Amino acid sequence: MKDLLIIRLILILSLTSGVVRAQDDLLNSLDKDIAEDVHYVGYTFKSTHIINGQSVENMKKNQLDFRINHRFGELNSGLFNLYGLDNALINFSFDYGITDRLMIGVRRGTYEKTYDGSLKYLLFRQCTGKRNFPVTVSYYTDFSANTLLYSAPLQRRLAYVHQLLIARKFNDKLSIQLSPSFVHRNSVQANDVNDVYALGFGGRYKLRRRVALTWEYFYCSHTAKSDTYYNPVALGVDIETGGHVFQLFITNSRPMVEKGMIAETTGDITHNGLYLGFNISRVFALGKHKEKEKE
Amino acid sequence: MGIFFCGFHLNAQKYITKEGNIELFSKTPLFTIEAVNKKVASIVDFGNGDVVATTLVRSFKFHEALVEDHFNENYMESEKFPKASFKGKVINFKDVDLKKNGDYKITIKGTLTMHGETNPVDAQGTITIKDGKVSGKTQFNVSLAAYKIRVEESYKKSINDDIRLSITFDYAPLAN
Repeated sequence: MKDLLIIRLILILSLTSGVVRAQDDLLNSLDKDIAEDVHYVGYTFKSTHIINGQSVENMKKNQLDFRINHRFGELNSGLFNLYGLDNALINFSFDYGITDRLMIGVRRGTYEKTYDGSLKYLLFRQCTGKRNFPVTVSYYTDFSANTLLYSAPLQRRLAYVHQLLIARKFNDKLSIQLSPSFVHRNSVQANDVNDVYALGFGGRYKLRRRVALTWEYFYCSHTAKSDTYYNPVALGVDIETGGHVFQLFITNSRPMVEKGMIAETTGDITHNGLYLGFNISRVFALGKHKEKEKE
Repeated sequence: MGIFFCGFHLNAQKYITKEGNIELFSKTPLFTIEAVNKKVASIVDFGNGDVVATTLVRSFKFHEALVEDHFNENYMESEKFPKASFKGKVINFKDVDLKKNGDYKITIKGTLTMHGETNPVDAQGTITIKDGKVSGKTQFNVSLAAYKIRVEESYKKSINDDIRLSITFDYAPLAN
């Protein structure tokens, strides 16, 4: 009797495991149908900026990024100035994704009452699979005009920036970026240079799901011989909420337009030249809803 | 000879799709989340009722790029758990007459695996036969907590724990 029961049990077990195995076989046969030939690595950074500088990230098609960026006054300027909070430079910007690869932007900043327009284009994406590419590469260019009241023709107020942004996401947490940059200013002070070359090093390390540590440094060609200008450096955190990314950091650079950040950073970190900075990014999805397009 | 015919017969009852559709929906007074995945692969076998489906989690497309980013990065961890898979049975598969046009109510039982967790699924659905074409529809809810998809306290008002999945598969005979 007992033997019979055991035989029955074995029979039932082998039958059910046979069923499960058959389903697994079916499931496995579908693997090739959902497999991607190439897997593109995304979300290298949380925002279009690492801190002061641009990241490889673009706004996707029809996404609008409205940013309000602040650089406060000197951190050690005392309670009278509320540690610099009384004295802020502000930037407003709109960046819009025309395609998933091309983003255009306009911006207005307090520093030199600058208006500028920019363009960022995603050239290569980091990917694995049939095609392998180790890094994501974007090209960024910016064209800015100083509108302070002084007597100079428009031509002398213009500046141009070109950057190649090269980033690799090593894993879920760590992304590193190199940013070779070139700044040309049409007119500068007598002891300054028109052309500045720079190499930026930046990165982020995710501490938690929505919090990341960020850092950035630009080595600039003109700072070694200059008493006025320093290499921009920044250390901060990215805090992500539903629709916003908040970037809080300490930096020695107050101008936010790239030509100012790279070529005209005046904060000497050894002598009071540190400022609190705060970027808020709010992303809006414009255009028709996919569901509505279908109808 | 008999075995050969038997095998042939069984295969003839297998149907496949590679472009099945899953719509994901969550609504709270604060926030509505919608996404569509059009790259779901599935096989249903009317010989024994077996049904399986699988997809890449990152194939879900959202209207807001940022929500898609959060879905992949913060909740589904789609780099770590790239696939979502279902395997189970159409319990009353014998009720479906593949040669006769009509809507057949079906019951599906099985398990859904995603985010590294497996949970039972028990759902009602419909198989529609139209001139030899087979399509299946079903809808069921999955609980985020059951799949250990952790939603922070401050976002619980925006994201429903029960996510509705609406599934539409238009099958074609599996060519062997």
